[in-house]
Amino acid sequence: MNHSIILSLLGAWLFLSGSARAATERTMTVKTTVDGMVCSFCAQGIVAHFKKHPAVSNVHVDLTRKVVLLEEKKGSSISDKEITEFIKKSGFEPKKVERVSESFEKVKADKKS
Amino acid sequence: MKTFSLCLLAATATAGAHPVSFEGAWQLMLGGTDTVQNFEVYNSYTPKTAFGLHAMRFEDERDDDYYTGLQHNWLLHRWNLPEAQANLYFGLGAGAAKQDGESAAPAGLGFFRADYETRRIYTAFETKFISSEDVSRAVTSASFGVAPYKAEFEELNTWLIVQFEHVSGMEDDLDIIPKIRLFKGPYFLELGCSLDGDPLINFMIHF
Repeated sequence: MNHSIILSLLGAWLFLSGSARAATERTMTVKTTVDGMVCSFCAQGIVAHFKKHPAVSNVHVDLTRKVVLLEEKKGSSISDKEITEFIKKSGFEPKKVERVSESFEKVKADKKS
Repeated sequence: MKTFSLCLLAATATAGAHPVSFEGAWQLMLGGTDTVQNFEVYNSYTPKTAFGLHAMRFEDERDDDYYTGLQHNWLLHRWNLPEAQANLYFGLGAGAAKQDGESAAPAGLGFFRADYETRRIYTAFETKFISSEDVSRAVTSASFGVAPYKAEFEELNTWLIVQFEHVSGMEDDLDIIPKIRLFKGPYFLELGCSLDGDPLINFMIHF
């Protein structure tokens, strides 16, 4: 009886720790809506700032959708506060930060949202 | 003197250049016509303030004036709208100015700039004055532009702009300068020619 309880707890721990590890090691895509982003020359600072962040592997500015897309490195994360600060340092107004499950390339290619 | 002129050959009012860039950025601006040349280099140490060097040369049939000074620029206010951006800038400079053949004297510079742009429409107004014991110049310009297409971030951006410019002390009262503006990545280039046939070139880079 005791053995079965111990084995069940051990199995549950292995399952949960595995899921948690998979979540932190997955690349995440961060989508930030930004106001005032009408000129690519003026928006250079956005790319310059995010490229220096150790948790960011890719940056894309979409002037039509008014969004900045970030790809986080596996196991790393950039906080919403840092994203907001970087956008403001670049001279723009961040409106909404959301994390999406789709890949960076898929969100980048999607011209509708 | 010739080298100095060539180095500066590339501005007037550097119309189109934002005098404050993103935090941490350096921006170099060169520009000019055959009568007014401009050189500016600034470091934006916050998103609303920049500090750097500004040099100008004015040349006409009567005088050849030079100004060099340190300058501080402020972004007074920015409106970040969903489909547009508008800005108010102010700047003050202190340095020296001289007429050709005369000794340099302390000089001051002041400017004000307002602009509004969407991805298809561009408007800007800028006025700048330089004053010293011997030199007194003012450059005022208004620009209106349209983009023939909406360029994406990585693409070549093209603008067709008409710039109206008045430089006090010059022979002509008002210059009308049609120009084409091109930019991609951190590089910015303007090429134009006034209705009197005077060429204009402006170049800018962020780094």
